[in-house]
Amino acid sequence: MATLPSGLSDSVSDEEDLARFLTQSSHFTATLVKPAAFLPSPRDRETSVSRHGSEPREELWAIGLSAAGARNLYAAAIFKAQIVRAAQLEVVADEPPPRHAVIGGWPWDEADPELQKAKQKEIAAVIASQADLLRR
Amino acid sequence: MPEPVSKVRLCLLGYVALSTYATGSSAISVEASAARKAASALIESVERSQALFGEKAAAISQLRALAIECNHENWDGYGATMIDPRAIFNAEAIVRALPIGVPLPEFAPEPDGSVSLDWIQSRTRQFSLSVGRSQRLAYAWLDGTDRGHAVATFDGSTIPPRVIEGILAIVKNGHSAIGTF
Repeated sequence: MATLPSGLSDSVSDEEDLARFLTQSSHFTATLVKPAAFLPSPRDRETSVSRHGSEPREELWAIGLSAAGARNLYAAAIFKAQIVRAAQLEVVADEPPPRHAVIGGWPWDEADPELQKAKQKEIAAVIASQADLLRR
Repeated sequence: MPEPVSKVRLCLLGYVALSTYATGSSAISVEASAARKAASALIESVERSQALFGEKAAAISQLRALAIECNHENWDGYGATMIDPRAIFNAEAIVRALPIGVPLPEFAPEPDGSVSLDWIQSRTRQFSLSVGRSQRLAYAWLDGTDRGHAVATFDGSTIPPRVIEGILAIVKNGHSAIGTF
């Protein structure tokens, strides 16, 4: 197992915390993260995350602000890599930037984009239901 | 020059007169009593429609604000597609078509340019409907340990019954976060 420039292993363990930074205020309610926050990008068919938990908080927000760029950073969804794998998706390290990882393996069906979307939404809802919302 | 009387003012005058008649107590004949009851029913219907319209108008305003917020590529920093104006059009049609008794959803942009209409009761009780440029609707739900997904077609005016049933199955024990009729 190799070590990445961030010092983390190149293999994401099931017990690792992942953070999905939320730059849309409509991607969460007062207490919960919405499924839309986890849907994959149509550009690379992946969901971008950082390998970081809720603590240390200052470091989390520093990574989030860097990821958000000029956008507002409202919150982060924190969840275990195990949840992603239990939903039949994969999570792999993807540096740079440091601590970056991607969730891949989303159902993709060019012939029926709505059915593909319905499948993705179900998976996203499962992940969202087990994620913790951390407001900034 | 006298100010022209607008239709709105005429309607308002008619409403006030009808309301006064409906709440008055001077009518004593059977016919007058029946007319007063009919006027009361009409007033109640008008007021209910106004309340409904107000809630839906607010929801539609939220949708339009979302469209403006996400009217450019990469609005999320992760490569999202701009919200498709046809998705907003379809989502507005769905909001207008929601029957009485179905709560209004919350809205969220999706990275492929669609809009998500969400009825979220708790972590494990939620219904999420994706509205894009086509009239085929992708949806998914979590209901305790039960979950699933499906696709239904929206004709532009009537929401498919199984979608309504799915929403009601989730919200029947509570209310959605935005509003309830």
